Amino acid sequence: MAERITDIGPPHFSKFLPPVIKENYGKWAYHEILEPGVLKHVSESGAEIYSVRVASPRLITTMFARELCDIADKFCGGHLRFTSRHNVEFLVSDKAQLEPLKAELASRGLPKGGTGHSITNIVHTQGWVHCHTPAIDASGIVKSVMDDLIDYFGTHSLPAQVRISLACCLNMCGAVHCSDIAICGVHRTPPKVQHEKLRHLCEIPTTIASCPTGAIRPHPDKTLKSVTVNVERCMYCGNCYTMCPAMPCFDEEKGGVALLVGGKVSNAKSAPMFSRLAVPYIPNNPPRWPEVVETIRKMLIKYTEGANKYERVGEWIERIGWEKFFEICDIPFTYQHIDDYKFQAYDTYRTSMHFKF
Amino acid sequence: MALPKDELVEYIYKMVEAAAGKKQLKAKDIEKAVLKEHPDQPRNDVKFAIKELIDGGRCVYTYFGGSFIECPRVEGAAKH
Amino acid sequence: MHKTPLLDQLESGPFPSFVKDLKRMAAKKPQVNDLLGQLERSYKEKITHWKHGGIVGVLGYGSGIIGRYSDLPDEFPGLEHFHTMRINQPSGWYYTSQALRELCDIWDEHGSGVLNMHGATGDLIFLGTRTEELEPCFEKLTAKGWDIGGSGSAMRSPSCCLGMSRCEWSCYDTMEACYQLTQEFQFDLHRPSYPYKYKLKFSGCPNDCVAAVARADMSMIGVWKDDIKIDQAAVQAYAGGELKPEGGATVYDKLDIKADVTDLCPTLCMSWDGKTLKIDNANCNHCMHCINMMPKALKPGNERGCTILLGSHAPILEGAQMSWVIVPFMKMEEPFDELKDLTYKITEWWAEHGKNRERVGELIMRMGMRAFLEAVELPPVPQSVRTPRANPFFFWHQSDFDAEAAGRKYYTTK
Repeated sequence: MAERITDIGPPHFSKFLPPVIKENYGKWAYHEILEPGVLKHVSESGAEIYSVRVASPRLITTMFARELCDIADKFCGGHLRFTSRHNVEFLVSDKAQLEPLKAELASRGLPKGGTGHSITNIVHTQGWVHCHTPAIDASGIVKSVMDDLIDYFGTHSLPAQVRISLACCLNMCGAVHCSDIAICGVHRTPPKVQHEKLRHLCEIPTTIASCPTGAIRPHPDKTLKSVTVNVERCMYCGNCYTMCPAMPCFDEEKGGVALLVGGKVSNAKSAPMFSRLAVPYIPNNPPRWPEVVETIRKMLIKYTEGANKYERVGEWIERIGWEKFFEICDIPFTYQHIDDYKFQAYDTYRTSMHFKF
Repeated sequence: MALPKDELVEYIYKMVEAAAGKKQLKAKDIEKAVLKEHPDQPRNDVKFAIKELIDGGRCVYTYFGGSFIECPRVEGAAKH
Repeated sequence: MHKTPLLDQLESGPFPSFVKDLKRMAAKKPQVNDLLGQLERSYKEKITHWKHGGIVGVLGYGSGIIGRYSDLPDEFPGLEHFHTMRINQPSGWYYTSQALRELCDIWDEHGSGVLNMHGATGDLIFLGTRTEELEPCFEKLTAKGWDIGGSGSAMRSPSCCLGMSRCEWSCYDTMEACYQLTQEFQFDLHRPSYPYKYKLKFSGCPNDCVAAVARADMSMIGVWKDDIKIDQAAVQAYAGGELKPEGGATVYDKLDIKADVTDLCPTLCMSWDGKTLKIDNANCNHCMHCINMMPKALKPGNERGCTILLGSHAPILEGAQMSWVIVPFMKMEEPFDELKDLTYKITEWWAEHGKNRERVGELIMRMGMRAFLEAVELPPVPQSVRTPRANPFFFWHQSDFDAEAAGRKYYTTK
């Protein structure tokens, strides 16, 4: 048997760069966006590279990946890349290939866009297709929202870029907490302790330690070798379930979607911001989650109507005030909106007279 | 006194074996336990002793909301 | 084929359909047919049917494989095992069609043929294979130069923006830094020995395209220290409308330099008199807005490096955190030794003191910034706080009295 190869890490990226990128690495002078989804980068030497960006569902098959390869071979000398938001970029060194590539992409139904003041692809998690703790599906909601907002993907018609992300539970693998619009799956049922199973599967001290609010205690009946949950302290994070599979918190009827808004990661103008709770709960309604789609559209329209040029969603809301945001978007303000979780809560309380009626 | 490398490997294996079903040990728990008994043991020895146990298949990494080092067992979830 | 009336409704519409794609695969691979069948079931019942497994892996590694089992294995036998493999992505997610096809060949042979391009941390994700396929699949991958990424309580696969490969704003070589740190930490990436995950992300400029500030325990964000470079003729061209705002990223025809640039500058350190753009660089806070607006006229200065911020993570457990500044400026040159050393110091302190599942940002909250800074030998700097504390409850250590005796100043009239 040949010696086992380990710890080699990923291949060095230089193996995959188009020649024009290798030659002009670190020498790029400026870029233009010729049209939504088409970028042109120009080097100090005058060399050019064109990148054509199209949407991908992220959850794909090797058949889809091979099609991308075929396209890259035909127009890009085999060169392509993926973006931090799961789009695909075809890297065109020969300008003459640009129009034929665009035609090919259109004929294959791959929407071009996701640049500039658009809604680009939704960063998202696995959902029901592969995760053990989700409250919602991921790919189905992404598909439904993007179908509805596709015009914003292929145009630059928004006041600024709008980044949407989705996490299928509170663990937020998608780290959606700094997005203009965040779709977050929420459970609303405390874990149901399966005592028989717990005894064999779980370590009690670790299970107790897993709870951020200290809601889990050893079961008073020592012979059970199990735990109890103080349901009033449970905020349904599912952390205990990850540590101990005998504590599922799923519920067919009570799981659903929360929407948070106004986050950003860029430092441009304002500092990075967290997304804040807009809608605490929308019931699961597969396959197309129409209420989620409609609420996002409604907030987006109000933003495009109300925001100044170059103003991100969070900047717009800060300027007009949250009370105005809830009023304009016709979203009821509830107990759930007021933070009462640990050290961050006080930071969100208003201690000024700076609000609007 | 620091243990010679092969003794250290056995020492750690026994620790993991004794903990089975009682406490899941993280790599750091093992290191701390070794250093408590043998304060002059270089940390790197512990690191590579664990590697030897894992590479030889006598111990495995597991993940239950955190990564642990345990004796091999069959995945419960693999059945029902 | 399983009947999927609910999922079928996701085949229509302009956005590419994952259902359509999976259905093509289902015709070839029975496990993908089962995947659709089980997903349909979840759509009907509004509940997941996956169980988490914590034991499977490839020999020698404790990372990169996530065990996954269906809770309906009798109904969907193809999903009895359906493990995830994380493949460490190349820096900047560049591929050639040849490399991507090789990966597809391996995955078609050893798994479901379903994948994510890419996962949340950055890896290429192979979704769905059986335990006995893991080792042969791994062997084929390494033979082609690929390796498995991080998972569990380990260094996670570092990721980066495309940096200097195609962006004029990148203040350091993000792709090389990402590659070299990934190589440096191979042991810790594959053999989980930390309290919990540790993510590194490299962004070339304060626009932070990989969301380093929100998604990485340690965020390296490019920045410059000297003056923004101005091409006044190009500024004129923006003012006159020959060049489009943000290089064409908007629907606006023309940039109003006062209203759109200088008035929106957060420190109001710019002025425009209709002819010349002036920047008071000493007061610039490197937000990137003006540079974003006029990519052909303005550029980051020449003295480039990065700011290191620490501590971000998603809400579990103590509520979401963004990374905060610990090193305002670090030169980023190969072989990145300063960054490697600092990473070792931080992970060692955290591994020593952190509880299971405690991220480094949470540990600092629990033990205090001072304990952290002293342990990793960083000085206190004003850049790391938005404001100093407002309460009088500060601590004094013997070392402070010693420093005082040795002549430390708390203020100076100079």
